[in-house]
Parts: sequence; C-alpha cells; structure tokens
Amino acid sequence: MEAGKNLSSSRPIKVLLAKPAIDGHDRGIFVLARALRDAGMDVIYAGLLPTPEQVVDIAISEDVDVIGLSLLNGAHMTAFKKVVDLLKERGVDDIAVVGGGIIPDDDKPKLEAIGVTGNYGPGTPLATIIEHIRKRGEEARRKKEM
Amino acid sequence: MDTRSIIEGIASHDPRIIARAISIIEEDNERSYEIIRAIYGMTGHAHILGITGPPGVGKSTMIGILSRKLTEMGKKVSILAVDASSPFSGGTILGNRIRMQDTLSKYGIYMRSVSNRGMTGGLSRSTWNMVKILDAAGNDFIIIETVGAGQSDIDIVYLADTVIVTLAPGLGDSIQAIKSGMMEIGDIFVINKMDREDSFFALKDIMDNVYERNGWMPRVVGTNSLKGEGYGELIRAIEEHRVFTEKNDGKKKIRYREEVRLALSRIIDRSVWREFGRFLENGEIDGYYDEHVDPNTVAMEIFRENSAFAHSHSVEGRVES
Repeated sequence: MEAGKNLSSSRPIKVLLAKPAIDGHDRGIFVLARALRDAGMDVIYAGLLPTPEQVVDIAISEDVDVIGLSLLNGAHMTAFKKVVDLLKERGVDDIAVVGGGIIPDDDKPKLEAIGVTGNYGPGTPLATIIEHIRKRGEEARRKKEM
Repeated sequence: MDTRSIIEGIASHDPRIIARAISIIEEDNERSYEIIRAIYGMTGHAHILGITGPPGVGKSTMIGILSRKLTEMGKKVSILAVDASSPFSGGTILGNRIRMQDTLSKYGIYMRSVSNRGMTGGLSRSTWNMVKILDAAGNDFIIIETVGAGQSDIDIVYLADTVIVTLAPGLGDSIQAIKSGMMEIGDIFVINKMDREDSFFALKDIMDNVYERNGWMPRVVGTNSLKGEGYGELIRAIEEHRVFTEKNDGKKKIRYREEVRLALSRIIDRSVWREFGRFLENGEIDGYYDEHVDPNTVAMEIFRENSAFAHSHSVEGRVES
C-alpha cells in the first residue's frame, strides 16, 4: 500500500453474505465478513432474516460474484435450493453460490449437486473459506466478462 | 456482454444490465468511458440529491423513507450509497443496504453499494459516472449517500444538485466542529431524531448559523425517522430547491467544470506516474535515505533532473524505462 494513492482501479471480488431463513445466529457470518474484507474483497451483508427472493434481488442489483449462504438451523436443503432455483428462474448463471453452517455430511453431496459448494462447518480455517470464495468468485467473474 | 447491448439495456431501463453497467463503470477504464460517451446524450433529466453528515445520524434510514415517499409520488428513484474501503486490504464492508432493504424490496427501488476505493472526499472516483448511468436509465431522482466521515465529505457539493446535510441532537461539540466544513455545503439541513432531548436547541443552533448563499436561503428541517415526522416538509424543501436549480444552471456548470478537472487530473496523474513511478522502486532513492536528505528535496531533485526528459516525449509517455 502507498499512502495518498488510490488502492486499485480494478474491481475486487464482490460477495453477498446472507442467512436466507429464520436464523439469527449471525456471529459467524460477521467474522467471515471481516475476514473477506481483510482479504481485499467487497462484502455486503444482507441483514437479518432476508427472504431468498430478497437475496437474489440484492445479488443482481449489486452485481456480486458470489453469494455466501449460511444457516445453522437445518433449513439449508430448502432455503439454499430456493436461492439456486430463483437464480436459475431469472436466467442468472454468472453468480456462484457457496454454503456454510451446520450442514450434515449426508447433505453436502446433495448441495454440491445443485451447485452450492463449500458447505463448511464450524472449525474450518478462515483461509480455506477465503480461498474457496476467491476461486468461485474468479470463475464467476470470467463468465461475466465473456 | 458486448457494449452495444449494455447501452441498449440502459436505454430500456433493464435493471440487470444497469447493474452490470455500473460494475463496468467502476473498473474505470477505456470501456467505461466508451459507455459514458454513448449514453451522455440521454443524461440530464435526473435531479441528484446528496445526503451527507457524520456517522450515526440516520442517513441510511432517512434515504429509505425519502425514497419510499418519492416513489409513492410517482417518481422513479435510485440510490448510490458509498462506504469506506479498508486502507490496508482495499476490501470494503458495504453496510448501508441493511437499513433500507425492506423499502427497496417492496417498492422495487434500485440501490447500489459503492466502495470509495480509498478516495477521500466521501465519494469514489467512479461515482460521477455511475450517476450518469442511472440518469440515462430514466430516474427522476438519484440519491447519493456519502461515506459519512463528517467534515471531509465535501465532494458531494460538486456532484449533487441538492445537498442535504443530516445532523442529530446530542452531537454537541461535533455540531460545533461541523460548522467549518459542512455549514457551507448544505442546501437543506436536517436535524434527525427530533424525539431526542435537546432537539430544538440543535434545530435553533443550525438555524442561527445558516446564511443565504448564491441566492438560496438554506432550509432547516426537523425529522423523526421512527415516526416519519417532518418528511413532508423535507420533500417540500427538496422540491423548492429543485425548482430553484432549474432556474439557475450555475451549479450544473460548476459540476461540469469539476468533472473535466477530475478527468484531466486523472490523465495527468496516470501519465506522470508512468514517467516518475519508477524512481520510487528498485532502491533508486536508497542513497538519499542513507544520506538523510529530507523527502521534499529528494522529490524536487527527481523532478528537476527528469522533467526535461519527460518533456521530450509525448504526454501519453511511451517511454521504456
């Protein structure tokens, strides 16, 4: 970093973090928001209790590269899928969806199959999550630039 | 997406393409300028509202309510909210949206979070061109929320047609401090949180300190965002100022000059750094450090010794270093 000079003219990876169901456990997602910012990304947090429709609306308005979904309440199979379905419905194929929270091992392949990757649980090192989001974000960015 | 379909998308007000166009604008490169060039003819309709003020006075909440009221009046409204980037990583947490999301979803208002990308002054370099995209997309009002760093957030005075300075009671000394920076830029002053103690003193304090500027006497309005009180008066003040600015195009000319100045300084900056940037690298200045020469003298010496060399080349500077 140089003092008194603009940081960059190219755009960082942009991430929307959201908990798309009735789940108020937001400590984890705040930690992640800061970690992603410190990794040089632009981070938007959707606030408490957004609907999957709102999540998709925000993602499109903000033109994000990655949607990071977190649920600790067991609704991930319904709510994550709903977000993926809405994106598909609106013809969006250049936004990556990653998941996290309390997700049983049995559900992980099912989520992977609908395109929700990562699905990290408690105790995952932040570096692992950051690297995964960066990788998916860069893929999405390349699709956007096509 | 090719540039032509982006321009068509903006003209037909397609929200997804507008979102993508703003991303391209944010990259601030040749392609951004190409898009602006193509849509410039469609701009000039929107009234630009700038909302500034210290942190925590309720700017985002106020924009939520204001955008709803304007939408209910049949106006098309879009919002740009600027947040500060981290000076170390360059990343940003964009948090303005949370306070207005319900309104945005319900009324279908377009809102975009913008990182200031390390710029001081309360805006990002590309905010100016983002406004043009939204203007060309048929908005009646474009609301811009500045970073909210207080006195230094004054770039908005050039960009906005109407500047609303938002304050709250209980800021005490910070109201005193703001007098030097913010009192000069507001067309409308809002004291939010009028339910608080001492709110009428705050209102009076501001009323005592506004003076007529360029034929406009700044309005002072008290609001309570919890109950939505005072917003009728605020909208009336905005409307009055809008009519006033339509009769006086002085402000639009000042903005145009400022934009040309910014664009020019960007071109100069880039070409100068292409010439001189290398003197900061590869240990070129280590000798000065060892000799304990003061930085200003070093800069002057580098400039003097090399400016003739720089002059002999084109401004674009295709110099191999």
